[in-house]
Amino acid sequence: MLDAIDKDLLKTVADLEGLPKGAFNIRKNGKLLKREVSANIDIESNADGSGIIVTIKPGTINESVHIPVILSQAGLYDVVYNNFIIGEGADVTIIAGCGIHCGSLEPEGHAGIHEFRVGKGAKVKYVEKHYASGPGRGRRTLNPTTKVFLEAGATAEMELTQIGGVDEANRANEATLGPDSLLLITERVLTEEKQKAVSANTIILAGAGSRANMISRSVIKGDSEQDFYATMEALAPCFGHIECDAIIMDNGRNETVPSLKARHPDAALTHEASIGKIASDQLMKLMSLGLTYDEAVNRIIQGFLK
Amino acid sequence: MLELKDLYFSVGERNIIDGINYTFEKGKFYGITGPNGSGKTTLAKLIMGINTADSGKIMFEGKEISQLSITDRAREGIAYSFQQPARFKGITFRDLLAMAAGTDDEEMLLALLRRVGICSLSFLDKPVDAKLSGGEIKKIELATTIARNPKLAIYDEPDTGIDLWTIQPMVRLLKREQKEHGTTTVVVSHNRAFLEAADIVLMISEGKLVYRGDLQGALPMLNDLSACNYRKCVGDKDVGCYR
Repeated sequence: MLDAIDKDLLKTVADLEGLPKGAFNIRKNGKLLKREVSANIDIESNADGSGIIVTIKPGTINESVHIPVILSQAGLYDVVYNNFIIGEGADVTIIAGCGIHCGSLEPEGHAGIHEFRVGKGAKVKYVEKHYASGPGRGRRTLNPTTKVFLEAGATAEMELTQIGGVDEANRANEATLGPDSLLLITERVLTEEKQKAVSANTIILAGAGSRANMISRSVIKGDSEQDFYATMEALAPCFGHIECDAIIMDNGRNETVPSLKARHPDAALTHEASIGKIASDQLMKLMSLGLTYDEAVNRIIQGFLK
Repeated sequence: MLELKDLYFSVGERNIIDGINYTFEKGKFYGITGPNGSGKTTLAKLIMGINTADSGKIMFEGKEISQLSITDRAREGIAYSFQQPARFKGITFRDLLAMAAGTDDEEMLLALLRRVGICSLSFLDKPVDAKLSGGEIKKIELATTIARNPKLAIYDEPDTGIDLWTIQPMVRLLKREQKEHGTTTVVVSHNRAFLEAADIVLMISEGKLVYRGDLQGALPMLNDLSACNYRKCVGDKDVGCYR
């Protein structure tokens, strides 16, 4: 059922050695490959078959659900609409991710549109890795969209990673935060050669006492390009912070635009942004510990994207 | 063990290091001092290879290292503690210590913590980032220098950012390293505590080595160099000029 390429992709994007335990839904080349549900986590196809609805019962604690997507069919652009309904007081981890294996000159791509509704006091950790590989020179595209709605006291922690091989990525993250809710987003993107990646983020702090922290780390190698846009809009007394750092190597190009909009006098919004090469004092320090220049660069990048 | 021969280094028209000759002896503790801008840190950086001399030779244990990279000099046994240590994103003290020691073995890292007098084990997993205080980052800098087990350890202004109460323990640590491990120690400092601990004080002024000897002999010259040479200076009578 899972061939060697599938296993390699699953290992890379979802840390899976074979099939996971608990609830999961594996999608391969636009079709369901295998699904399991658990007592507390239900997964069903949506009405038009274009995606899944994952429903997590209120109070479900310490459970996880894997929903990886793998693509290896030449010429396929797979679009999927997934909904996640996380019940009140639940505390769960969702591991997504998409791996593309391109073996021909034809393009392959995936667009995952994920909508999260996180109930009162619930916590969700969402881990998403994107990766492409293979000997084919077909264009590999990944265009993920996440929409998050946090009810009162809910928490969402999102780790979004693009670790290499993706020629083009257009990411959109949107979130609306209710009272006393918390959103933590960490996005890490590595591009090289002539790859392009755009990340557009809109976070609305609608509820009093809501907090959001968005961290973006970009490494731009070769002739690649990355653009990062983040808007935080505060409609209530709240706290929001954007931190976006880009390391440029070779001829990489970057545009970073953090934007803060306070629509309430008690909103506290901050941002810090930096674009530049690896700092020479960091390189010198690691070289003074015996690392070569290349080893020092790799170690700094590895830490930066950790 | 370290020989500087006719060392010159300039930036534009300005000679920062202006013909320095000196031989450092194995296992001794040296204090390099002098006024701000005299060339002390530049000299230390020339030894480590952070800057490369315009002319002259640097011999280390009989081998010429003048053209070697920082990496190669580190591998020859020279370690360097930066005045303003680098801060990273995503690298912890444990990571740096493991790189310095060449091992990530927990027991060996803990032994290193004990050796440098850091009691708190939780300190090991602190990110070496902008959130660290000046004192904390200097402790990490010292620890990673000592973890190299260097033949020659260079400390550039190790007391920068350190509170007064920590300076004496730091001096004792460097002296202990000198005695127990035979580390040739070079400390660039204005601080009397380090100069008193030194076997030999070297004074640099305008890129030249103007004194070598004990601290007592250096004091008159240090006082002289600390006088302001700006002809209109009203000195401590008025605005508290300390130069």
